[in-house]
Amino acid sequence: MNGTRKIEIALICVLTAFSYAAARANAQSASGADAQKKSAAAKAEGSSKPDESAEGEKRFQANCGRCHVAPEDLNPRVVKAVVRQMRVRALLTAEDERLIVKFLAP
Amino acid sequence: MVRRFLGTLLLAVLGAAAAHAQENVPILSGGVGVLGASDGGAPSAQPVIAPVLTIPIGSKWLIESRADIRGFIAPEDGTTGPVQGSLSTTLEYLQVDYNATSWLTVTAGRFLTPFGIFNERIGAIWINKFESAPLIYPIGTARGYLDGIMTRGTIVSTPGYSINYIAYASTLSTVSNLESQRSAGSRVGVFFPKARLEIGTSYQKLLQGNRTNSQGVDVSWEPDRVPLDFKAEWAHSPSGQGYWFQTAYRLSQFSGPDSFVGRFEPVFRMQQFLRGQAISGDELPAHGAQEADFGLNYYLPHSVRLHAAYGRQFTPTRNTNLWEFGFTYRFLFPMWPGGSK
Repeated sequence: MNGTRKIEIALICVLTAFSYAAARANAQSASGADAQKKSAAAKAEGSSKPDESAEGEKRFQANCGRCHVAPEDLNPRVVKAVVRQMRVRALLTAEDERLIVKFLAP
Repeated sequence: MVRRFLGTLLLAVLGAAAAHAQENVPILSGGVGVLGASDGGAPSAQPVIAPVLTIPIGSKWLIESRADIRGFIAPEDGTTGPVQGSLSTTLEYLQVDYNATSWLTVTAGRFLTPFGIFNERIGAIWINKFESAPLIYPIGTARGYLDGIMTRGTIVSTPGYSINYIAYASTLSTVSNLESQRSAGSRVGVFFPKARLEIGTSYQKLLQGNRTNSQGVDVSWEPDRVPLDFKAEWAHSPSGQGYWFQTAYRLSQFSGPDSFVGRFEPVFRMQQFLRGQAISGDELPAHGAQEADFGLNYYLPHSVRLHAAYGRQFTPTRNTNLWEFGFTYRFLFPMWPGGSK
C-alpha cells in the first residue's frame, strides 16, 4: 500500500467520522427543537385545548344531546363526517362544528 | 428528469389525497330493529333496517342518504288466520348539502320535510321514544319527504340565544319511490342554550290540489340539571288540528347512566287530534282521537335499546289498547378500513 492510498483511506475515515458526528449533532439539534416545539405547543394547548373541548362538550349537550345520546365507541376517523351531518341536521354554525369535533376527537 | 418529476408530483398528490381522505371518511350508520305492536288486538311485527350513508367531500360538501327497508308481518285477517308478510323499501332522503357560509347551508335533492321537530329530528327508529309517530304527524309533512331545494342555518348565534331557519320549495314528482308534492314552506326557531329551550314555528303551503296551508308550533326543552326530555308540537291544517307532548326521564341520577337502574327511561306521551274537513289522502285519522301512551326504554351497552309501551286510544267509534314491544340497535362504521386514529 503506497502513501497516496493510505492518505485516501485516512481522508475517507475522517470524512465518514465527520459526517457521522455532523448527522448525530443535527439529529440531536432537531430532536431538541422538536422537544421545544412540542413543549411550546403543549403549553399553548394547555391554555386553550381544555377550554375548547369543554366548550365543545357544552355545545354537544346543548345541540346534539337534545335528541340523542352520544354514540358509543366513536371512532375518531368518523367524527368529522358525523359532525358535518349534524351541522346540517341540527342547524349548527361552523364554530359549533369545530368545537364539537374538538370534544369528540380531541 | 421530467418523468422523475412527474412521478414525484403524482406521489405527492396521492399522498395528499390519502391524507385528505383520512379526514373525510365516508360512514355507514343507521339503525336495525324489530318493532312489535298490537293495535286493538291485531298483532304485527316490523323488522326494519334504516341505513344512513354519509359522504363528506372537501370541507364544505356532504352527500347523505337514508333508506327504510321494512317488513310487515301480521295475520292475514288482522287478528287470526295464517301469518303473511310484505316488504317495503323507501328512500327517505338523498341530498347534497353545501355549507356556503357559517349561517347558510344549501341542500338539493330529496329531503325530510322540515315541518315541526318530529320528522327531521326524532323520527328515526333509534331516536324516537315510541315506535309510532304522533297522530298529527301528517299535518305539514304528508308522506314525510320532498324533492326540491332547501336553505337552512343559524342566522344569529349568541351565548344567550340563537335563531335558526329553514326555507324550502319542492316540486311535484310521480316517479316511483321518489314521489313528492309541489309545496313551499319554512321553519323558524329560537333556541336558548342556557335554558336548553327551543321554540319553533312552521308553515307550509301546498302548491297543488286544494292548496292547503299548514301551521305548527313546536317546543323542545331539556333542562341542564335533570335528565328530562320534554317535546311538544301543535299543528293545524284544514284537515284538522291537534297536539302531542312527550316527557322522557332517564333514571341516570340513580347511580349513574351505566348502572342497572340508570339505564331505564320511563316515557309518557299525550296527544289529541280534532278532525276538520274530510280531505281524502291526508293520511290523518278518519275521526278525532285522544291517546295516552306509557313507555319504558332500557338502554343496553353498545347502542342497543329495548322498548315496551302501553297506550289507550279513545275515538268516537271505539276505544282501543295499543301495545308496543321491540328493540333497536344503532350502528356506525367507517366505509373503508383503517386504524382507530
